Amino acid sequence: MKAFLPKDQLPFLLEELGERIEVIAPVSTDAGPSFVTWQGQPLDLKDKPLTPITEFLLPHKEALFTYVQEAGRYIFKEEEIPSRLLFGIRPCDLHAIALLDRIFGREPPDQAYFRRRRATALVVQNCTSPGRECFCAGLEAGPEAKDPCDLQLTDVGDGFLCQAETPAGILILNAGRALLKPALPEHLQEKAKLLQEARRAMPQDRSCSQIRQAMERADWEALGRECLSCGGCSFVCPVCHCFNILDLGVPDGQRLRCRDSCMLPGFSRLTGGANPRRTPGQRLRHWYQEKFEDIPQITGLPGCVGCGRCHLTCPAAINRVDLTVASRFVDDSSEARR
Amino acid sequence: MNEYIPMQAEIVDIDIESPNTYLFTLELQDEGADFRYLPGQFVMISVFGLGECPISIASSPTRRSLQLCIRRAGKVTSGIMDCLVGDVVGIRGPYGKGFPLDRMMRDVVIAGGGSGFATLRSLINYIADRRDEFGKVAVAYGARTSQDLYFMQEYKSWQSAGMEVAVTVDIGDELWKGNVGLVTSLIDSFDLTPGSAAICGPPVMIDAVARKLMDRGFHRSDIYVSLERHMKCGVGKCEHCAIGPYHACQDGPVFSYDRVRDAL
Repeated sequence: MKAFLPKDQLPFLLEELGERIEVIAPVSTDAGPSFVTWQGQPLDLKDKPLTPITEFLLPHKEALFTYVQEAGRYIFKEEEIPSRLLFGIRPCDLHAIALLDRIFGREPPDQAYFRRRRATALVVQNCTSPGRECFCAGLEAGPEAKDPCDLQLTDVGDGFLCQAETPAGILILNAGRALLKPALPEHLQEKAKLLQEARRAMPQDRSCSQIRQAMERADWEALGRECLSCGGCSFVCPVCHCFNILDLGVPDGQRLRCRDSCMLPGFSRLTGGANPRRTPGQRLRHWYQEKFEDIPQITGLPGCVGCGRCHLTCPAAINRVDLTVASRFVDDSSEARR
Repeated sequence: MNEYIPMQAEIVDIDIESPNTYLFTLELQDEGADFRYLPGQFVMISVFGLGECPISIASSPTRRSLQLCIRRAGKVTSGIMDCLVGDVVGIRGPYGKGFPLDRMMRDVVIAGGGSGFATLRSLINYIADRRDEFGKVAVAYGARTSQDLYFMQEYKSWQSAGMEVAVTVDIGDELWKGNVGLVTSLIDSFDLTPGSAAICGPPVMIDAVARKLMDRGFHRSDIYVSLERHMKCGVGKCEHCAIGPYHACQDGPVFSYDRVRDAL
């Protein structure tokens, strides 16, 4: 089902939806756009939020279950999962979800993840003006949504071309039936044109195999000397999914799942103190290897969606988008040493 | 079903193996729980309020009781050591790939160092109970001091099952009449024909034993090593135990030496 939504009507559509389901949308904040529960705040659909949507499928902290002691035994309970609509996520975010589906879907499937995933509707906004950090085109993760979602929006100037792909997507559009106009062939032509331009605006040399070649030339220990091991790159990466499990509360309490990062020094440290990845360079190498070698081997898809968030967030300017790892030393070593 | 919700197990017996290592016998409380395992597999054990940690299974599936040998090392293991008979702990699993028994049914060398010997005890007792399916079996085991040697009361039964058992310690004392030295030195004394091997212990020890066995004609793909890795989920998701494309919790913890030589 296709339709056209004039721009000024969008808040009314969200209002309609907000009465039925929790709507998460990119809202304008002092720190730039951010995905939060929409309650009428001004939207920011121009720039991609720095924090990824992973938060709503694999939260920074969630209770896997609660335990209650009773007569020397335990009773376990799982909390209810809220139904949600993620509005205005980007094709790279959507591709990351497709990757997480494959990673968490491996035997045995991670039901804690899929309970949230199944309760989540996805509305994607295609990227007509990608950021300078973006390189999704080379990794086939954008700028147009290619993975299953409920509804696709494309900003075609004075409004959004809406394309529902699932029954849930049709229901979302039906909620705002009175606000919609028919989609015209011109809208579709405009969409194709804008996305073609967006694709061309991005670097063309960032395919998985090209990045792998760059990795072979990289001096990991030199990069590691600049890495602060802050874990920032992995907390903004929509594909990163490392987690920790810990308990809170005695005798009753919650078993929590918290996000973790393989960039942090203690991540792989063993009980006796030995650490298979001791140096920042080893951890950095592992991070790239995971994304460009291991996840492809496991899922058949690159483990990077080219969103460039790691570049935006790195205080040591390591994961910059205008370089693959090695070009820091091959192409602009003078700048890197500044 | 939520994979992270554990089964409950009651501690029915506690044996002291060394001053800081106890052998716990557990009984699963969930009726109809399907808990079948192989030597080399592990479980996630938890003390509610303290958390979870991976522990290899020390008992053999050929025997009735489920046993875990636990050394006081961190928060969770200390919590388990403080438990009494009758207390309830959480168990998830069994997880991971154990020793490939089908491919080991010939002459076997088993070499363990320190607490790594716990998982090998499962294999040794399995072989002892199905002795005619295997060839000559030699066990080499090293610990730091004689106080740290586990399962001492069982060596005789292994010997009477026709296995060669050699034990050594790093630091001797006046009560210790046996070998002092490295596990690798025990292997020199074995009369071996190249077959298969199972090794668990510190990485340096694993590597040294594997090299020694290869010098004696063992093929590196016939040498199986059980690796220790930090683990949180046990089901290949949390990435703590990632070794390249492998997850030690699912693809291991037992690997053939040729697959993980670089990770040691």
